[in-house]
Amino acid sequence: MIQVHGLTKRFGRKVAVANLSFDVQPGRVTGFLGPNGSGKSTTMRCMLDLDRADTGGALFDGKTYSSLRSPLHEVGALLDAGYVHPGRSGRNHLRWLAASNGLRKARVDEALETVGLTSVAGKRLRTYSLGMRQRLGLAGVLLGEPNTIILDEPANGLDPEGIRWIRDVLVHLAGQGKTVLVSSHLLSEMALMATSLIVIGQGQLIEQCSVDDFVSRYGEHWVRVRSPRVANLVEPLRAGGATVAYADDNTIEVRGATAVDVGELAGRYSVTLHELSPQTGSLEDAFLKATASVQEYQAGAL
Amino acid sequence: MFNILRSEWIKLRTVRMNFVLVLLALAFPLIISVLTAALVNINDMDAFDVVDMVRTTSVITAMLIGVIGATSITSEFGFGTIRPTFAATPRRMRVLAAKAIITVVVGLVISAIVVVLCYSLASGILNSRDGNVSLSQVGGGRTALLGVVLFSGIVSLLGYGLGLLTRSSPVAVAVLILEPLVAEFIIAGLLGAAGLNDPLKWMPYQAGGQLFSLPREITDNNGLGRVPGGLYFLVVAAAVAVVGAIVTNNRDA
Repeated sequence: MIQVHGLTKRFGRKVAVANLSFDVQPGRVTGFLGPNGSGKSTTMRCMLDLDRADTGGALFDGKTYSSLRSPLHEVGALLDAGYVHPGRSGRNHLRWLAASNGLRKARVDEALETVGLTSVAGKRLRTYSLGMRQRLGLAGVLLGEPNTIILDEPANGLDPEGIRWIRDVLVHLAGQGKTVLVSSHLLSEMALMATSLIVIGQGQLIEQCSVDDFVSRYGEHWVRVRSPRVANLVEPLRAGGATVAYADDNTIEVRGATAVDVGELAGRYSVTLHELSPQTGSLEDAFLKATASVQEYQAGAL
Repeated sequence: MFNILRSEWIKLRTVRMNFVLVLLALAFPLIISVLTAALVNINDMDAFDVVDMVRTTSVITAMLIGVIGATSITSEFGFGTIRPTFAATPRRMRVLAAKAIITVVVGLVISAIVVVLCYSLASGILNSRDGNVSLSQVGGGRTALLGVVLFSGIVSLLGYGLGLLTRSSPVAVAVLILEPLVAEFIIAGLLGAAGLNDPLKWMPYQAGGQLFSLPREITDNNGLGRVPGGLYFLVVAAAVAVVGAIVTNNRDA
């Protein structure tokens, strides 16, 4: 379990993270979301004591990161797959990492095999693609078989197969009872792998809840209705205060009324329905709505 | 601590650039020594000249060792590997101390190899050409050659410290090399003009150079002396490294 409490980090006069507190529970993948510049990476660096927090900090199963004697056994973190020496081979990169925590040499080859890099382990890292470096970074995370895993944008540079692979790995690790915190801009991916969310904006907590609750709270909800006589329902629905929009000649989307309301109305007007389905917006829609007021960088209209 | 030392040793020997620098550090004085001993007029080179040649060429080795010391840490900042390093070992001072130990030990070993090989090969070649060269013919010669090795170890520590302070390979290497060639003379000149008596002997490299000076040179140059000069240079290099380590420990990685 990770507990972040009262974390504040300033860079000069700019407050990057402001009194941020949240918990990350074991046994599930927790998504860490926020617009660009919201303080996600700074928070992760402060959690690992790489950036010195002004106040507050993080506890990993009750212990501060700096008190861990062999952190790779307890916390596996990948903040940037680019943090490698390009002249060193993939295997040697993992070897120094393993040696620093007294891990046995065989773990290096096991981790390389897990991420599918055995055949290129002897090649220098300047020849690796970003996707290969992400896999190597994940091998470094898995080296010490830690209980807590922290990843910053792990899907960057991965192809669709790689993205699916990393999703499966993280879900599998969470299934083993590990604590998994992962940030990503790929909200569709996050929707598939995360069950909990921590959403921040301008360094402050916006929401901490399950993905379902988040989408339910911030996402759009409407009812899709299809019928050859759907036009007969439009005026009664509008008269009841609902908003109706045509999707095609036989289909409408109703906002402001539930599926039960529409079903009752259809019965009253003897309209045969071919479809009556409640719809919910995507995680992306919910995220954009939740963070609309805290976007650091907003594009102008095209 | 042993694990961290092993980790830092792996880092140092798995980068090709370091091999190139070590090769240069070994090759340059060896080639000069062998060619000089093989080609010089046998009457123009005695034991003193051999010691002089070895210590002079070994200073190049010392500077290259200093460059290895500097880049051992600046490359970590440059490529961002300092972050996984500190994430793997949150007690940063341990990492920084291990790096310093590895850097200095490597510097001492390379320098010792260079000094022993250069002297052995040069004197061996000269003696095979009917020369008569022996280290015992040079008063304080053995100590001067040992001094070259110690000087190299201190330069590697200084290079490492400059790397910690500047976080930049070009800046650290420039300071490491230009300081003895240019800056010390300018500073000493300014201090002399300000009325300070014989300031050059207090310049770090000048003081450190006493380590490989022969007794008569120390007397002639009015230097600090071998042990005080060497200790003074060591204290300066250690101070730079300690300040660099404290700054690195307190700053964001």
